[in-house]
Amino acid sequence: MTYTDIDPGALANVQFRQVGKPLTRTDAPGKVTGRTPYAGDYVMPNMLHMRVARADVASARLVRLDVSRARALKGVACVLTAADMPDRTSATDIPGQTGQKRLDTDQPVLVKDRVRYFGEPLALIAAETRDIADHAAALVEFELEPIPGVYDPLEALKPGAPQVYGEDNIVATRRIRKGDVEAGFARADLIVENTYKTPFQEHAFLEPEVGLAWVDENDVVNIRVSTQVIEHFRPIADAIGVPHNKVRVRGALVGGGFGGKEDMTVEVYLALLAKHTGRPVRLEYSREDSFVGHGKRHPFILTYRTGVTKEGKITALDVTMIADAGAYVFLSPYVILYALVAAPGPYRVDNINVFAQAVATNNMYTSAFRGFGALQACAAYEQQMDEIADALGIDRLELRRRNFLKTGEPMSTGFVPPSAIWTEQCAEKAWAGLGEPTPAQGPIRTGRGLACYQQSYGRLTFLHDTSEAWVGVEMDGTVVVRSGVTDIGAGQISAIGQIAVEVLGVTLDNVVIYNSDSAVTPLAGTTTATRALYMTGNAAKQAAEGLRARLVERAAQEFGVAPDEIDMGFNEVFVIDRPEKTMPLVDLVRICAAEGIHRSELAIFRAPFGDFLDPETGQGQAHPDYAYGAHAVEVSVDVETGEVEVLKSVAAHDVGQCINPAAVEGQIQGGAQNGQGYALSEEMLYEEGRLVTPSFSEYLMPTAMDMPKVECIILESRSGVGPFGAKGIGEPAMTAVAPAIANAVADAIGVRVFEMPITPERVVRALHGKGAAEQGRDPA
Amino acid sequence: MYAPFELDIPNDLAGALAALANGDGEAVLPLAGGTNLIVDIRAGRERPDRMVGLDGVDELKGMEFGPERIAIGGRTTVSDLLRSPEIAREAPSLVEAARLFGGLMVRNTGTVAGNIASGSPAADLVPPLLTLDAELTLQSAASTRTLALDDYYLGYKQDARRPDELITRISWPRLPRDSVNTFYKLARRKGDAITVTGVAVTLAAAGGTCTTARIALASVAPVVRRVKEAEALLEGRALTPALIDEAAEAAAEACTPIDDIRASADYRRHTVRALTRRLVAGAWDRLA
Amino acid sequence: MSETRNITLRINGRGEEGRFPAHRTLLEALRQLGHMEVKCGCEKGDCGACAVLLDGMAVDSCLTLAWMAAGKEVTTVSGLGDLDAPHPLQEAFADSGAAQCGYCIPGIIIAAQAIIAENPEPSEDDIRLGLSGNLCRCTGYTKIFEAIADAAREMRAEGGEQ
Repeated sequence: MTYTDIDPGALANVQFRQVGKPLTRTDAPGKVTGRTPYAGDYVMPNMLHMRVARADVASARLVRLDVSRARALKGVACVLTAADMPDRTSATDIPGQTGQKRLDTDQPVLVKDRVRYFGEPLALIAAETRDIADHAAALVEFELEPIPGVYDPLEALKPGAPQVYGEDNIVATRRIRKGDVEAGFARADLIVENTYKTPFQEHAFLEPEVGLAWVDENDVVNIRVSTQVIEHFRPIADAIGVPHNKVRVRGALVGGGFGGKEDMTVEVYLALLAKHTGRPVRLEYSREDSFVGHGKRHPFILTYRTGVTKEGKITALDVTMIADAGAYVFLSPYVILYALVAAPGPYRVDNINVFAQAVATNNMYTSAFRGFGALQACAAYEQQMDEIADALGIDRLELRRRNFLKTGEPMSTGFVPPSAIWTEQCAEKAWAGLGEPTPAQGPIRTGRGLACYQQSYGRLTFLHDTSEAWVGVEMDGTVVVRSGVTDIGAGQISAIGQIAVEVLGVTLDNVVIYNSDSAVTPLAGTTTATRALYMTGNAAKQAAEGLRARLVERAAQEFGVAPDEIDMGFNEVFVIDRPEKTMPLVDLVRICAAEGIHRSELAIFRAPFGDFLDPETGQGQAHPDYAYGAHAVEVSVDVETGEVEVLKSVAAHDVGQCINPAAVEGQIQGGAQNGQGYALSEEMLYEEGRLVTPSFSEYLMPTAMDMPKVECIILESRSGVGPFGAKGIGEPAMTAVAPAIANAVADAIGVRVFEMPITPERVVRALHGKGAAEQGRDPA
Repeated sequence: MYAPFELDIPNDLAGALAALANGDGEAVLPLAGGTNLIVDIRAGRERPDRMVGLDGVDELKGMEFGPERIAIGGRTTVSDLLRSPEIAREAPSLVEAARLFGGLMVRNTGTVAGNIASGSPAADLVPPLLTLDAELTLQSAASTRTLALDDYYLGYKQDARRPDELITRISWPRLPRDSVNTFYKLARRKGDAITVTGVAVTLAAAGGTCTTARIALASVAPVVRRVKEAEALLEGRALTPALIDEAAEAAAEACTPIDDIRASADYRRHTVRALTRRLVAGAWDRLA
Repeated sequence: MSETRNITLRINGRGEEGRFPAHRTLLEALRQLGHMEVKCGCEKGDCGACAVLLDGMAVDSCLTLAWMAAGKEVTTVSGLGDLDAPHPLQEAFADSGAAQCGYCIPGIIIAAQAIIAENPEPSEDDIRLGLSGNLCRCTGYTKIFEAIADAAREMRAEGGEQ
């Protein structure tokens, strides 16, 4: 169901013909019939097959690396090690940024002398067949002399800890200092302090990293790859030492991203071997490769100290967040920045100190993942809200109501989000959506939980983000859109097509969208940070509007009316309210073509440009805008075995304006699965940095038997900074799910599990602790 | 997958047994559903020189429902169990285990004999079969013998099957009239998951007395095993909550779990106690 | 190196010949023959992306050796229907938004076809149980359940008309 209960003044823009309809996505027919080629489905004649040989310990000195047996194997074309390219490094910092200087955080392409994480690449192999490449990988001989490593960020901060990075293992530190926190605590009737832990998470996209590279007749390295970011052509070129115009990245429809294909994955390896061998090379990660081959979600340790009055008003908040950055920097400085900004959640807190730090360890490096730090903050602040409510004896929703940030109020950074803040409406609708409570039965207790969130959409303003799109109309009235935007499964390109055809008054089956080619589609920026619809949607809308203005002007001349009397719809151009004055779009296009009137438009959309937040106070504008919403769940908990089942899952989000409601619901439902796994069952276990759960039988995301049907309540404030007032839903869909589940479990059993995932065992331990405390004895 | 091996595909049982017998020092493995074996080969845990594919061996399929006993061929798949109304009647615990076994594709290809022969302490079909007093027929080119499933496992991943033998048939006596046969699989998620603690129970009663008690546990010892210590406490008695508690405690005492990625030994022991109590009490209630 | 052998696979109704070693999986063989609609997700039978029908029965092609499939009928998602004549499941998945990134969908539609073939009127629990070996990371399965129920209804109606 969709709610648009807003003031009637805003209803003027709802007479959409395409936007807001649950249309069949343009990419759907190809996908359901198996026609859609993904990056791994491209092959070329004379192609070589690659493998990456990896370190099998997490912290070591590379004493010996001998690839002579691998090289000697019949059918092996090339084996590269760091010795073949001693100075090659590749960028790890924020991808696709426009103009800013890169951070000095490059990573060696291959291990030279020091292994810092389990699975770090040692050698690249290219062979005539996959069998030979696999065989050759087994023939790579190496000797790794273990060096004491550090696998816990708190240990890594201690004096004398093994050094992974820099002098003190500190990757980045961010602060917010706002108001007077001491005074706020002094005024509080109650101070609640808790520490929450969130785990690593694997993106678990179904399509492992894969690509095909070849060098063309212009000496350009072409890479067809599964990526969220075709703008990686620049760091790829830097990494292999060629000019930027000598690398072309072509995407394909991506088999899932979630942030895991935001950093480069296989691109540099492919480019190097395509250059070295002069032949097409293909590299497809196995699932095990994928588990060790891309960065994970940062585990966080979050300590919240909240001062509240007995009426439940927050007077002060002091937050410390420590994130495990793993062995290389990647996006850690930005992830903790998002966490910092999100620290108080969708609540008005005028006295607030936040300290966020990313710390290096010899665990797998951590980087972008749906929610990007703001999600970890939500996991803590929403559990903390329930703890406060329970301590005060106030209804949990009511406590939130008393503190919600309202439209027009400043957030933690002092910035006033430009759009409506409908957290309260969302919270009430989600909570009500749970319906009648499910009764407990013997050892099976039931409980309910709610969580609200604030999540940015659009990139950090200091990145000066832009996006381009080209819209043209063909001689037969069909529409072409060109934009570099990648589609990672959320229906990005279909939505952009829907926007273009709305403006041009044609139907969605009349548009073809060419996307994701760094050489020929206008660069649109990354599909990350819930920005694709916001940025590229705006760019496509601008381009379509520019084209429409010219077409309308010519039509007005034809009909002898003013341009503002013309509308376009149903593949026709007509004078509003005068049905006899109409012509097919195709006729107008022919007139324009005959007269040399430009039938296309290239537009660039610029997000608000800003500066870094103040380094001492954290004040400033971090993002263009924020999305708000809530998730509610009902769970059952078996108090004997600790098993948790999610019985109901209801989401309410203000998405600003739906472009395609079916796609919005799909994002919400997928976010519910992503968040449910994070809360309950997904666990990456490392022993001394070695991943011991590198498969889908060990790393357990929810199956069809584990997921309830997810109910979606969509609110449309039409206040966002995206096209037609849209906000974003990609990341917001997931943010509040896990704390809602944690709160529901605590509600069911009367005790909180402070560490995710909330495994059956942790539930049992928490219950034993509670039982022991109540009976005054030691835990069993 | 890179794993050079030879593959024989015999079209009858004699051919399969002959292929297994012609070892000549090679590592020869029978290949049924392959849902474990292919994974193990890819991971390098198994390195057969030759495999004998059993797809074409029709003698290993089929079910017989005799007046006294039920027998199924070794190549009976997990899905075959689910499709049989007789099995649903005669072995409810086995059906419950089959339902929660892997995903559809794995159920369609994974076989009962393969699950038994995998030797996994988490093999889901084994606890139900143990509580049904199942017996295995082991056949080689030279000999045929029968063996109680209870005597089959010798230690972690060690069993009584000789390399040239196949588990050709699994049989068990029909359940007595007043009996309950159940299974509970505790795992870290509901669909397609490796068992953390599996408990199967058969109780039979006559005249208010428990005449038969079978309790078998998965994933809490090097092999799937019965806990006869607990069974002995129940047989010949009228069950009371205190007695059931005692049996549950005995089961928890008897198991020898380890810590692994799925759970700790302590938690496993705790859940053995809780689930044994729950299943036995639930079964006894139904018998009353 | 192990022996290689010419085998004929019947794929979507057409005989196709390939030369493969014994260890070649059906997944690898199908893709080598150009059937890129069969997706590789884990090669361990954990995700179901590679599911195909083998003589009408859903199997993980990553756990099936190509030689063992010789002489059997292999059906991939592209064998169920195409852009011009989509299968009711394909239509339902496209229309309801059940395909997002779409990578799991070829396997899920195969599993769905097997579910409906066994039970033309599957309950939601039947659908859940039938899909428990197919992982999807995008959809949360909600629209997939709906699409399968819709398609089953459509297929029953079509069957009734004939």
